[in-house]
Amino acid sequence: MFDNVWLIPLFPLIGFLINGLFGKAIKEEKVIGGIGALMVFCSFVVASMTLFKMISLPGHERVHNVTLFTWIKSGTFQADIAFLIDPLSCVMLMVVTGVGFLIHVYSIGYMHGEEGFYRFFAYLNLFTFSMLLLVMGNNLLLMFVGWEGVGLCSYLLIGYYFHKKSAGDAGKKAFVMNRVGDFGFLLGLFTLYWYMGSKHGIWTIQFTELAKHAELYPVGGVVTALTLFFFLGATGKSAQIPLYTWLPDAMEGPTPVSALIHAATMVTAGVYMIGRMNFLFIKAPETMMVVAIIGAATALFAATIGTAQNDIKRVLAYSTVSQLGYMFLAMGVGAFAAGIFHLMTHAFFKACLFLGSGAVIHSMHHALHHAHSHDDPQDMRNMGGLKSKMPMTFLTFLLATIAIAGIPGFAGFFSKDEILWQAFANPHHGTLNFALWGCGAIAAGLTAFYMFRLVFMTFFGDCRINPKCKDHLHESPMVIVFPLIVLAFLSVVGGYIGMPKIIGELLGGIPNYFEHFLAPVFEFSEEYVKSQAHATAHHSLVLEWGLMGVSVVIALVGISIAFVLYIASPSLPAKFTAAFPALHRAVYNKWYIDELYDFLFVNPCKALGNFLWKGFDVVVVDGIVDGVGKSVLGISAALKNLQSGYVHNYALSMALGVVVIIAFYLFR
Amino acid sequence: METIAMPAINFAAIMPETILSVIAMALLLINVFVPSEQKAYLGYLSLIGIVVTFFTVIGGWGTPQEGFNGSVMQDNFALFFKGIFLVSAALSILISDQYMKREECNHGELYPLILLATCGMMLMASGTDLMTIFLGLELLSVSLYVLAGFQRDSLKSNEAGLKYFLLGAFSTGFLLYGMALIYGATGTTRIAAIASYVAQNSLAGSNLMLLIGMVLMAVGFSFKIAAAPFHMWTPDVYEGAPTPMTAFMSVGPKAAGFAAFVRVFVIALPTLRADWADLLWVLAVLTMTVGNITALYQKNIKRMLAYSSIAHAGYVLVGFVAGNAVGTAGIMFYMLSYAFMNIGAFAIIVLVGKKGEPNNNVEDYAGFGFKHPLLAVCMSIFLFSLAGIPPAAGFIGKFYLFSGAIQAGYIWLAIIGVLNSAASVYYYLRVMVFMYMKDPVEEFDWLKVSPAIALCLIIAVAGVLIPGIVPGYLLELAQKAVLL
Amino acid sequence: MLESLFFLIVAAVAVLSGILVITCKNPINSALSLILTFFCVATFYVMLEAPFMAAVQVIVYAGAIMVLIVFVIMLLNIKTETDKRTSHAVLISSIIGLFVLFETIYFLNRSSLTGSKGLMDSAMIKSVGHTEIIGKALFTDFLLPFEITSLLLLVAIVGAVVVSKRKI
Repeated sequence: MFDNVWLIPLFPLIGFLINGLFGKAIKEEKVIGGIGALMVFCSFVVASMTLFKMISLPGHERVHNVTLFTWIKSGTFQADIAFLIDPLSCVMLMVVTGVGFLIHVYSIGYMHGEEGFYRFFAYLNLFTFSMLLLVMGNNLLLMFVGWEGVGLCSYLLIGYYFHKKSAGDAGKKAFVMNRVGDFGFLLGLFTLYWYMGSKHGIWTIQFTELAKHAELYPVGGVVTALTLFFFLGATGKSAQIPLYTWLPDAMEGPTPVSALIHAATMVTAGVYMIGRMNFLFIKAPETMMVVAIIGAATALFAATIGTAQNDIKRVLAYSTVSQLGYMFLAMGVGAFAAGIFHLMTHAFFKACLFLGSGAVIHSMHHALHHAHSHDDPQDMRNMGGLKSKMPMTFLTFLLATIAIAGIPGFAGFFSKDEILWQAFANPHHGTLNFALWGCGAIAAGLTAFYMFRLVFMTFFGDCRINPKCKDHLHESPMVIVFPLIVLAFLSVVGGYIGMPKIIGELLGGIPNYFEHFLAPVFEFSEEYVKSQAHATAHHSLVLEWGLMGVSVVIALVGISIAFVLYIASPSLPAKFTAAFPALHRAVYNKWYIDELYDFLFVNPCKALGNFLWKGFDVVVVDGIVDGVGKSVLGISAALKNLQSGYVHNYALSMALGVVVIIAFYLFR
Repeated sequence: METIAMPAINFAAIMPETILSVIAMALLLINVFVPSEQKAYLGYLSLIGIVVTFFTVIGGWGTPQEGFNGSVMQDNFALFFKGIFLVSAALSILISDQYMKREECNHGELYPLILLATCGMMLMASGTDLMTIFLGLELLSVSLYVLAGFQRDSLKSNEAGLKYFLLGAFSTGFLLYGMALIYGATGTTRIAAIASYVAQNSLAGSNLMLLIGMVLMAVGFSFKIAAAPFHMWTPDVYEGAPTPMTAFMSVGPKAAGFAAFVRVFVIALPTLRADWADLLWVLAVLTMTVGNITALYQKNIKRMLAYSSIAHAGYVLVGFVAGNAVGTAGIMFYMLSYAFMNIGAFAIIVLVGKKGEPNNNVEDYAGFGFKHPLLAVCMSIFLFSLAGIPPAAGFIGKFYLFSGAIQAGYIWLAIIGVLNSAASVYYYLRVMVFMYMKDPVEEFDWLKVSPAIALCLIIAVAGVLIPGIVPGYLLELAQKAVLL
Repeated sequence: MLESLFFLIVAAVAVLSGILVITCKNPINSALSLILTFFCVATFYVMLEAPFMAAVQVIVYAGAIMVLIVFVIMLLNIKTETDKRTSHAVLISSIIGLFVLFETIYFLNRSSLTGSKGLMDSAMIKSVGHTEIIGKALFTDFLLPFEITSLLLLVAIVGAVVVSKRKI
């Protein structure tokens, strides 16, 4: 039925091989970029065909495993190179290939003239390949391979401008933090495999098999533990508390990378993974609560930081962290379809925002370059009044901003509102629901505030750029603007396929297509929730309309405050900062989380390593054996080495080991 | 006059050893007539010998051969390990010539010594008598002492050889004492007979002599595989020894140590399993942790790889503790992939150095990725594999070891292992950061890749990537070789 | 009774001469003390009804090897070691040594060291002869280890040449 889906990951792999191996020889930018974009477009075509075929099938026939060959087999353990094609992976495929294609096109214009152009496209194609593997893999191990692959590409692309030390450091930080998360993923995998195998004799890591036996999982207990492990993996990849600090630093990479990897696709892998394993998470109420709380807290926390950043990309980065928090909130309250829906709409408008900001930075950079100015092209304090200079960028950016702010009629409104309503009305968390909704609603207000602050500071008001540069500011070429238009269009209309029920009914019985489409994937969870007797959601039309109204009002308030502060009376922010210097400093410095991590984890680790390394040599040899006096006398180090001074210490340590071990066996 | 009835010798059981030792002796003779600038031919001859031996190893697969009244047994387990030894010997020989010529110590004795060391390893893997195993280990160790100090005019190399010798002799004492105690307790040195004697007289648990013998043997083997706290020699010896020999001794002898360790403990002392599993559990945790944490601080890449090899011994011990089919197959798979990735990394280290300037510091790799992209990609593949990142073979191996531990119920051990391997990424990554994210300081214009090293790199990259992407075949082989 | 008294005396001499080996400043004295130790060990072999081992011990170790060592020491004219590392290392190793002693005593006391007796009891040794038993074992059960020994010696010779010969 879906025999040709293996083509989807194959195309980007071919692109990677061509550009990676021969890119340096090809040299011609148009060819390199063309190959890169074309390959992803081919994947997009195949993915669309898959989607259409999927829609034509009845609901219960929409899950397919396409096995290519057996990958690892030993005894009870088997992992195949096989793809899982179901509505969920179809949605993800469309997002990855569709948005991916647009960003590839955009990159041709954006990366024009950069050193290592071919390297960029090779990495980008490799990333697409890994991401497709992650999405399509039908077992946990294949997913993990993709999971690691995207982490690797992200690291390579963050460090793309390797001349900057900060870029290298940011890449390393991202990689190490991701590895902490991966460790959780692996532990979850192991525990799940071991539990199902030893308890029920089902040694499998294949998703459909695991889902088939979903009723075997106990509620809580070991399932809580392993879902928490998986969630740890998700926090690393999707930048949630406590592992979120790498994402803002990742903005050191080129802007298309930020749009593709750090907004639209890779960072949503954690959400996708939870959605993929919803049958497990639904059985672990404690984990669900943790997911919901972390999600809500991240949404709020990152939004506060976003309000005080001046770097245009950092605002968007914190906004991404915050929006990912929403998706996790959705997962945590059991609204899996809503979470995936937000994932999709977010991919549209956040990619649009990042690409728009990239266009602005690009233009700023050129203008500053012409004027030989060393101002930071990413600092919003240097911008202003770009509305007239870059009309198309402004328009698309504004549409995407309205979408993310949650103004009715735009994509972000539908998905965000669905999440907030579910947070309030879900049957899982009892009294906690109100707090979850509150966090989400406040974060929505803050989102509207900082996003419009960004728009006002960048596009409105007086032009604060160095006057010499002013004339060099101009609209970007078509290859950059075209993806912006498509994404802005999607940000406007993308929401209508998943209209909340009550609005649909009002408009004459339009169903929530998106939720229906995904229903087969989340069937078990739905049934399970319904079967719990006490779990009756309190559903009231008035309440739902009321809450919707409240969130719209909150968003409007956020926008108005931004308007007052940055358009009507621009002196107010300074006064505010002056009035609460400590608060501003804390928010501006991201609540000092990086410093806290250094203090808590990084430094002790370094100290321990240092101690173990030097401990024996320095303490025993220099300190005790030779004595301080003898060191002062200064026997040269080489001589000391040759006199086998260390050897007897080594022998002593061995003897000590033997004595201790034997003592254990003798006296136990 | 009474005649002695000769035992059934069955040369098929020691065919690989015989071929290797004959070639080694022949090379010693040929060496006299080869002028010093053409010693590379001895290397080619020994490679031919290794390839021939490899074919006998393949030919022997599936038909266990017992020889010499049961003092040696060439089963699939032994054959798999013999394959690993041959791979590590061949790859090390490939990188030796360029290095030895550069450092002006290309003496012909190198190759016979490597072959005899390999012979010793093989006897360790197939020995079913404590004496065979012990003498195999001695044959290996004595050759290695000399190989470590082979660079005669380098103080560091001399120091490495001497240190290795002194500490090795010390640890051999423990091993031999352990064997003596076990002989005392059971009255035999045949490992199968030990097991049946222990089982018949139910010595397990009650007999202290047996227990202490087990502990002392464990100590002796732990030294050979460089498990903490018997690992202190490793960094000094690895740093000082000529780099190709470091590559050799970080892989082959470690695998041989594991082969003998596993065979003796699994076959001879299965009844003491509960006792030694505890001990190995602690050793595994200690080894992984000490190795990784200390490696974090190393600036010298050879020392860093030394500590990393300690950590890897810890991972492999995890599979040993698990003791089930998956874990034991994991040991074999992992040691084989470790041979490829570690020797590959050392090959790059050989290339980056020049006469008198080993360029062993991480800083020396600044910008290497831009000057020699292909070599840097190879190095990255090896480092990724060492760090256990897919799709390299190191990932599959680690996955196997840890899932073996999990199937056997050692969840915590697996957790500590995964944590450790997560931490290890940091120091492997540092090398990559220097290669790709720092501006070049050096021009690396002295760097020339000899055809032999190129061949070694190609084999190593293939050996890391192919089993990483399609591990099925190799895993099946490993599973057929499991000793259970 | 007499036998254990004899054992105690020889054991005391063995331990004392062993200590002398590592404490003597002059290498010649160390070497001579070592010969004494070897003789004591040979005595133990006799008491354990292993006369062949005793003979080999005296001929090979005390005779050949030690003569070689003393010869080399005199040839090289090694000076007495002057730089003494008296320090905490000695203290630490003494503590570890005490622990070893303690563990050994505990080990000997606690367990009944009933190992297997093996085939070589005194009656058999008297009837067949020790040398013959060893010879037979070497050429039957332990033929392979015996052959490996030849390789071991070869490696040792090659190694000695590689490490020490001035020009190779």
